[in-house]
Amino acid sequence: MSTNAARKAFLIYFSISLAAAILFLVMTFVASQEYLPAARYGGAIWVLILSLIVTMPIVIPAVKRREGS
Amino acid sequence: MTHETNLSHELSLTVHGMSCAACVSKVEKAALAVSGVSDVKVSLVAGLARITHEPTASVTDIQAAIAGLGYRAEVTADDAERYDREKEVRRQEIQRQKINVLIAWPLSMIVMFGLFQPMWIFPLFVPEWMHNKWLMLVATTIIVFGPGWQFFTHSFNGLRRGVTDMNLLYATGIGAAYVIAFINTLWPDAGFGGQGATFFETAALLTAFIVLGRYLEALTRGRASEAIRQLMNLQPKMARVVRQGQEIEIPAGSVAVDDVVMVRPGESIPVDGVVVYGHSVIDESMLTGESIPVEKKPGDAVTGATMNRSGAFKFRATRVGGDTALAQIVRLVEEAQTSKAPIQRLADLVAGHFISGVHVLSLLVFLFWFFIGYEIFFQPGGRFILSPYALAEVGVFGFALLLSITTLVISCPCAVGLATPTAMMAGFAKGTESGILFKGADAVEETTKVNAIIFDKTGTLTRGRPALTDVEPLPDWERAQILTLAAVAEKGSEHPLGQAIVAGAQAECIEPDDPDSFEALTGRGVRAAYQGQEILLGTRRLMAEAGVNINRLEPAAEQMEQSGKTAMFMAVDDRPAAVIAVADTLKPHAVEAVGRLQQMGIQVWMITGDNRRTAQAIARQVGIEHVLAEVLPGDKAAEVRRLQEQGLRVAMVGDGINDAPALAQANVGLAIGSGTDVAKETGDVILIREDLREVVSAIEVARATLRKVRQNLFWAFIYNVVGIPLGMGILYPFTGLVVSPELAALAMVLSSLSVTLNTLTLRRFRTSLQKNYELGIRNYEGQESPVVFRPS
Repeated sequence: MSTNAARKAFLIYFSISLAAAILFLVMTFVASQEYLPAARYGGAIWVLILSLIVTMPIVIPAVKRREGS
Repeated sequence: MTHETNLSHELSLTVHGMSCAACVSKVEKAALAVSGVSDVKVSLVAGLARITHEPTASVTDIQAAIAGLGYRAEVTADDAERYDREKEVRRQEIQRQKINVLIAWPLSMIVMFGLFQPMWIFPLFVPEWMHNKWLMLVATTIIVFGPGWQFFTHSFNGLRRGVTDMNLLYATGIGAAYVIAFINTLWPDAGFGGQGATFFETAALLTAFIVLGRYLEALTRGRASEAIRQLMNLQPKMARVVRQGQEIEIPAGSVAVDDVVMVRPGESIPVDGVVVYGHSVIDESMLTGESIPVEKKPGDAVTGATMNRSGAFKFRATRVGGDTALAQIVRLVEEAQTSKAPIQRLADLVAGHFISGVHVLSLLVFLFWFFIGYEIFFQPGGRFILSPYALAEVGVFGFALLLSITTLVISCPCAVGLATPTAMMAGFAKGTESGILFKGADAVEETTKVNAIIFDKTGTLTRGRPALTDVEPLPDWERAQILTLAAVAEKGSEHPLGQAIVAGAQAECIEPDDPDSFEALTGRGVRAAYQGQEILLGTRRLMAEAGVNINRLEPAAEQMEQSGKTAMFMAVDDRPAAVIAVADTLKPHAVEAVGRLQQMGIQVWMITGDNRRTAQAIARQVGIEHVLAEVLPGDKAAEVRRLQEQGLRVAMVGDGINDAPALAQANVGLAIGSGTDVAKETGDVILIREDLREVVSAIEVARATLRKVRQNLFWAFIYNVVGIPLGMGILYPFTGLVVSPELAALAMVLSSLSVTLNTLTLRRFRTSLQKNYELGIRNYEGQESPVVFRPS
């Protein structure tokens, strides 16, 4: 995969994952429960990691295919 | 190893480091992405990748693409050396995983007992100093960055190319548990549950169980190609050849076609050839499954890798290197290993796409317990199943994270990926033992579904050459006298019927003299003179022309003809003497094989170009009800198709060369009696021996193999089906119990282990024929088995 494609793929999957983590953070403030900062930020990091793992195998081949065609 | 076909090249790569079905998918994807590669088939269990590519594709690029995923890909060598090298690689892998186990388990025990030291009965036998967070941190760090490091490197290599595998599940689980343990130890007030909620044992035991699974896998995976390696080792490394009148010893690989090779008693035969001098008895069981040694004399073929039991002999090499029977069989088995049954494709698809799904599920589990579940259901008295460890001090994040990790670990579909290929490999090996070669996993699966089987008559059910069957003399003649005179009369004949009579007489120890005179009468028979007697032997027309009255012979002749035999009249000095019948005879064990197939609930058909009466007669003898007679050779495939259109799944048994179209049309083509020249065969299943009972054995082996596949898939899926809801915490609201990540890892290891052990039981499987042999029952030619096989 070319550097350009790798960068493009990184931008996409990282943005999606970051969005998911931020959404999680927002939810911890909106929810009725009180969360400790450690739970909030720890949870956001865990959501970021899992989202990255989920999105990377989807985004990278898709970008590769688009580059190939 | 590379082979060239008309338009493309085939490359065989040995891939080291694959551990799951998702790895198979990764390697296939990576190789297919290389320009010029048109097809890739990867076998996890054999560690082989078969790649079809255009001449323009670079082998180095393909290797680099696979290496980029973290695997080592080597061009597969062509000889026994490769298997020795593979054995060495496997030995190193076993050793590596063994060291991992030896590091991970004692340290994990230190962590576990140290953590639980103040609880339950542990204070009675665990010293207090073991309950030290720094000791546990050091031990866990060694485990995670030692034996556990492989999971991080593999998953990182895959992930950066957009592919996932089981390693990612482990890496995520172990990594998360370790990071939390690390933070809670160094910064207990950070808010992750503090020192009461360290996850040392989770990270440590999770790694320990997974490396144990890897170790057990490495132990069993090696056995898959062990059978081939042992087969190849039968071929001697050196050969003694006669060149320029001198006997010299050269590497077996250097023997050339037409070299004269010498073999002494007790030695293995280095290459294929034809005996030119000497006699011997050869044990061919390693290649054909035939347990009785075969006598060899000048003119007989000998096969490389078989064992010379008695005399010394010389033979002329006819096939060497990659053309030998052994090389062909090995190639065929390897191709079969990389093929995939439909059931396996489904399992691979599930396993390949499962990883992302599991991470999504893990995320959902985390979100549910974080935002909803913890507040509603959390009980401070909650516990892990089979653990004294209470969840009291775990906060919402720790609790949701635990269940999220457990879901990741318990969902691992390792066993799903192993279920089919391990059983198929065991099935191929079991078949090879009996000289049954399945050309692929799909051939095994199709063979189990067969409900109709068609035997070609001539050459398959029957010997394909006439033999003497009846001698009916008139009362004033002796049988032996008639047979002697008939053999004398036919001695000079070149007609197959005449030769059958001579052979029949010789079989009864009658060696006929030469006739005083002999005349072949085209289309009618022969006339001969012997010791003053004139012998006429032939058709009704011949008798009529000679004015011989055969009325007394007619009833016997008609009865013989009704049975599909060819009746010949004999007159001596113009007086009727006897009627002699010649017919194509059934092969040994034909009746037994047909009867057994019918017992198995399979419709048995016979197909032949013969007229209906002859066909029916043979069918009656062999016990077949369904006959397709008067079928031209070119129409056999159409007849197979016609049966398929009736909804039958048809197997065709025939000569792999002459019946090729029908074998190809059938759902399963069984080429029988090919000997060891397996390369030219067209069937899906090749039966090396000419024993029709091996058709039954092939079906039995295929059924046993698929039964094992289904059992394996059951065991693989049942763990996931039961485990995933438990891992997600479904019990917690009702019982306050959750599955710990380490218990999930244990369940996952047990799942793989149960699949592996279940597959190993296939090694004990015996076909009904093998069981009969083991019971000491032998069926001799022309006899039916006294015990098991009877036509229904």
